Amino acid sequence: MTSLTSLMLLAQVGSGRLQGGWGYVWACYGISVAAFVLYSASLWARRPRATDSKE
Amino acid sequence: MNKFVKFGLPALTLALLGAGWWLGLAWAPPDREMGEVQRIMYVHVPLQWMAMMAMFINFVAAVTYLMRQSWKTDAMAEASAEVGLLFGTLGMITGSIWGRPTWGVYWSWDPRLTSEAILLVSYTGYLVLRRFVEDPEKRAVWSAVVAIIGAINLPIVWFSVRWWRSLHQVQSSPKTVDPQMVLPLRVSAFGMLALLILFMVHRYRIALAERKAEVALPEALPTDDPALRASHSSKVA
Repeated sequence: MTSLTSLMLLAQVGSGRLQGGWGYVWACYGISVAAFVLYSASLWARRPRATDSKE
Repeated sequence: MNKFVKFGLPALTLALLGAGWWLGLAWAPPDREMGEVQRIMYVHVPLQWMAMMAMFINFVAAVTYLMRQSWKTDAMAEASAEVGLLFGTLGMITGSIWGRPTWGVYWSWDPRLTSEAILLVSYTGYLVLRRFVEDPEKRAVWSAVVAIIGAINLPIVWFSVRWWRSLHQVQSSPKTVDPQMVLPLRVSAFGMLALLILFMVHRYRIALAERKAEVALPEALPTDDPALRASHSSKVA
């Protein structure tokens, strides 16, 4: 009975593989790279100037 | 600045991230069920790991500041919170994009996602607090307390997938993942670690320079020296 229930559940899950989806992949990598570039620029813009970098 | 930080670390970061992402996008096999979409893992998971690490550093720096007050630990706390928030936000965005083709929705009030959202809001609040308090000493103490309270959420986020089995999958291990997926993930994670260190070093230098500029008037504000600090703190109030 338990195995039958499990089989019924698995049947609902289905099988197969997602097709395509490269757009989602590129979006993730693109957004991350863009954010890193922008943050790097913000760090460069806020860098300590020569007058106040007496560390 | 140290030559390694200026040239070596950026080169190492680019090399590791470039190699890791190339392996993940071109070399690793597609997932049995998620297909190509699973390649988001090589950016999403390292982002989340580094966000957790930065926020843990923030917690350690906050505790250290309360035990032994120093502008260096305060600057480290500020740097780690900002960089951790950046990585955490990107982790959430990439996770949300990954959720659309696999779960059918960009967002769900799943325990992992909800606890992560609360975490990001608390670190945003931490940085807002730092902006609002002008007195550097009060700012450092108050934000350290907020950082410690905020860090309570870190283990909740990490273990949420085990405590409340729901939509988000539990952590995988090298034993349950194809070796051809483990290698790109590891290389990407080390690349992301190098980037985290690079960002934190630069952000730390900025924060420390700001603290030093604020305490440039030695009579007005406390110093790193505990004896001088004690004598100055009474004058600050």
